[in-house]
Amino acid sequence: MPKSSNVRRDFLRKRHSNGHSASEQPADEELTTMEEVPEELEERVQTLLANGEEIKIAVSTDLRFDGNYGKDWVFATDRRLIAFNQNGAPEHQVLEIPLASVEAVEIVEMYGNNILKVRTSEDATEVARYSRRVSPKFELATPELETLVQDANPDVEHEKQHRPQGWGKNKNKCESCGQPLPRWSGVCVNCVEKRKLIFRLIRYSFPFWHIAVPALALMMVIRLVSLLPAVLSKEMVDNILVPAERNISGATLTVTGEPIPDPTWGLLSGIVEGVSGWLTLPVAGGWGHLTTIVLLMVSFNVFTMGASAVRGYMMAWVGQNITRRLRNETYEHLNSLSLDFYNQRDTGNLMSRITSDVARLRDFIANGLQDLIGDSLTLVNICAIMFLTNWKLAAWTLIPVPCLIFFTIFFGRKMSKVFSVLWKRYADVSTILASTIPGVRVVKAFARERYEINRFSEKTYQVFDGEMNAAKLWTLYRPIMEFIIFSGSILIWLIGGSQIFDGLLTLGELFMFQALMGRFFRPVYTLCQMNERFIRAATSADRVFEIIDTPPSVADREDAVTLENIKGDVEFKDVYFSYDAEKNAINGVSFRAEAGEMIGLVGHSGAGKSTVINLITRFYDPSEGSIEIDGHNTRDIKLKALRQQVGVVLQDPFLFQGTIAENIGYSKPGASRHEIIAAAKAANAHEFIIKFPDGYDTMVGERGARVSGGERQRISIARAILKNPRILILDEATSSVDTETESNIQEALERLVRGRTVFAIAHRLSTLKYADRLVVLKDGKVDEIGTHEELLARDGTYAVLCEKQTELSKIRAL
Amino acid sequence: MQEATKITDEVQFLDAPNVKIARNSFEELMVELPDGTSHTNVEAVRSFPLTDSSKYITLLDSEGEEIGIIQDLKLLPRESAEILVSELQKRYFMPKITKIHELDGQFGVTQWVVETNRGPVTFGMRTRYDVVSLENGRVLIKDADGNRYEIENYHRLDPASLALLETQL
Repeated sequence: MPKSSNVRRDFLRKRHSNGHSASEQPADEELTTMEEVPEELEERVQTLLANGEEIKIAVSTDLRFDGNYGKDWVFATDRRLIAFNQNGAPEHQVLEIPLASVEAVEIVEMYGNNILKVRTSEDATEVARYSRRVSPKFELATPELETLVQDANPDVEHEKQHRPQGWGKNKNKCESCGQPLPRWSGVCVNCVEKRKLIFRLIRYSFPFWHIAVPALALMMVIRLVSLLPAVLSKEMVDNILVPAERNISGATLTVTGEPIPDPTWGLLSGIVEGVSGWLTLPVAGGWGHLTTIVLLMVSFNVFTMGASAVRGYMMAWVGQNITRRLRNETYEHLNSLSLDFYNQRDTGNLMSRITSDVARLRDFIANGLQDLIGDSLTLVNICAIMFLTNWKLAAWTLIPVPCLIFFTIFFGRKMSKVFSVLWKRYADVSTILASTIPGVRVVKAFARERYEINRFSEKTYQVFDGEMNAAKLWTLYRPIMEFIIFSGSILIWLIGGSQIFDGLLTLGELFMFQALMGRFFRPVYTLCQMNERFIRAATSADRVFEIIDTPPSVADREDAVTLENIKGDVEFKDVYFSYDAEKNAINGVSFRAEAGEMIGLVGHSGAGKSTVINLITRFYDPSEGSIEIDGHNTRDIKLKALRQQVGVVLQDPFLFQGTIAENIGYSKPGASRHEIIAAAKAANAHEFIIKFPDGYDTMVGERGARVSGGERQRISIARAILKNPRILILDEATSSVDTETESNIQEALERLVRGRTVFAIAHRLSTLKYADRLVVLKDGKVDEIGTHEELLARDGTYAVLCEKQTELSKIRAL
Repeated sequence: MQEATKITDEVQFLDAPNVKIARNSFEELMVELPDGTSHTNVEAVRSFPLTDSSKYITLLDSEGEEIGIIQDLKLLPRESAEILVSELQKRYFMPKITKIHELDGQFGVTQWVVETNRGPVTFGMRTRYDVVSLENGRVLIKDADGNRYEIENYHRLDPASLALLETQL
């Protein structure tokens, strides 16, 4: 620590207990710069304050200066900055800095931790050290501190820092609960309002209710009917088989004697009587009843199968319709979203939302919910039949069910852990393959085959290990489940058997119990898995709804105007912009381009050239300042109208899957062939296009013909020419082609720029020889503006750049 | 035949025994080189923060331009070395995890309650891929805020911690 007259230190005797230890600190700590101060410390601070002095900021750190976790405190009043550093010493170390002496407040970002530093004219002091967990808090405190400093010293003009938007926010954590957001989705697992999401999902099936509701009803019937054979078996045993058997054995074959007593049908009396009456079977007595029941069993089964098939088809129709609607809706909204949304997420992630997440939702809406209803219904039905028949035996039979539930959930959890590890290991194997197979030339050139083989075999061993863990669980799980079910049926034999001795149960009922027990397992299993299915569906739903619910950050205002014919004056007025909320990409850019003027944008990479262009096309809106076209703020112009006036030629021109004609015509729907050929001619593209066997009908794009970089570039210039825009943007339009092609393209561009306002970026400064003026950008600011000659005479940044390029071209010439 | 130039000749290290490093009242590093030139507001950066933290320290001036590389901290005069070491220790904060109390979560989002050599700490992670296992049981961990932690050798963790960690490796 530096010694200085401005800094006074006090050493207090007593060690202050610092409230929370780091581990107790809740993750969802509220983001505030006026934290609650422990009472003891509060008193101590008050003793330091002068009359009327008020605490404005109180923030705590999570690190001490010795690098151990712990709390230090920083306070700011309207006059002073006070820091309590514990510093490992038994006493508090107190640091005071009068705000009037402060010149700057800085955050020094380091590796895994940051430091808050206060600079005076004579020295600087490190006030607080903290890990990145609490950086949002300090990011909030810093500007407040700056304001206090400014207020304390109004005579001195302090440089105001332009901080990026979103400064002080933690983008990796959920805003409401502070939990980390999963990298792959950005949706908080904790805060997903599952119920709300599920209801919203169900709403998507409403338009198809005329199919979904009958399907649901049909399923209920199926579930009920599928239990009937078990009930019938009871009727068969009790009413036909047992009496027949008793008759035969008891009466020593007195067949002529008493006939078999008329059956007393139980639950299904109506159906059985009806059917047997209707059948009027040729065979009388026991035989007749037996055939009736067997026929009923067969028909119930056939009905169940047939109805299930029909229901399956109906639900597939509903599910696919939901998928289609959801996909289209998501894609439509995705197209309306601004570039920043795309920049924060990778393409694969967005694609998987529209493909696999939506499919997972279909599975949930179409099958998940119906399974939930169907399986619960089956369980209720089974229990009802059991309890109605014999509640004592039913109670005994259900004893193993809690075990069943417990083990299913227990194994389910273990399984999902083992499988996710396994999944990661499989991914590792494909990562190796994906990197070494395309890189095989490098592997061979450096004779590293053995090394790669060993690396691969290590990963396959890990997969083996993981698979064996999974196998261990599976092989354990199955026998345990089977044993539990077996123990259920054993209980039925034991308790049921003893009840038969006591005349409380019939043999048929015993059979029925056994049959029902066998049907218990599957619904229990599916219901146990339901929660996980629920969570997964909710997460998927959130990922999909995030797209649908995000409002475009660049959108038309209500009162936006349409500009029919613009002149093309473009003016930047003190514009600031940041992509990532951490660093400003441009820092107060102001300049004016007259209509018809060609402006060359020059600067090192990262100087902000492309950002200027992104703002003109309104891919983004500036965070501060404004851009005006013909005196209208771009924010007030309808997006569609604005972009109709702006044409873009990019460094790596993108061609869509389609014909060359379609690609050129993309910028002007309904363009005639004549116009397309004219545009191609103007772009020096006609010449090579007609050399393709298919001419303008040649397919290009990913699976189309091979078109060289220069040719693609010229097609994209033709696309821009066809649109006839007032403002033209050339973003490194010629940097990726050889010299001859470049001169070809240059010629085309020359024609294109006439009479338009043009903004051109080029690394090769010779490309900008037609530019009326050059804007030299440096660190997001305008460094120099002027013509080529003016700037050379000035001997500044541009002159240095030029000199370097001349040297380079000399080398090339050699 | 002419002998091929040795590639190691391409790096000129600073003459470390004659380099003076001090701290000024702005809490900045000052470096004085043997040729008499001096720099203020110097930034010291490790070339191998993870695998060799005491060697190949690059010094950058206030513009971010390289001043030179110190091959080994040990070569510096004692006083200079101490200042540089303290600076590096401040800049690179990576506590060593000694015990894992709790590790729980789903879908790759996990909450860790651990003991480190810097005290107890709780942190959250966004994906399992932020746990990287290196050679000899060394494990590097990056939490949701970008803080870093390491486990020197996970085989030496107590069995309970090991069991928790293994679900993430």
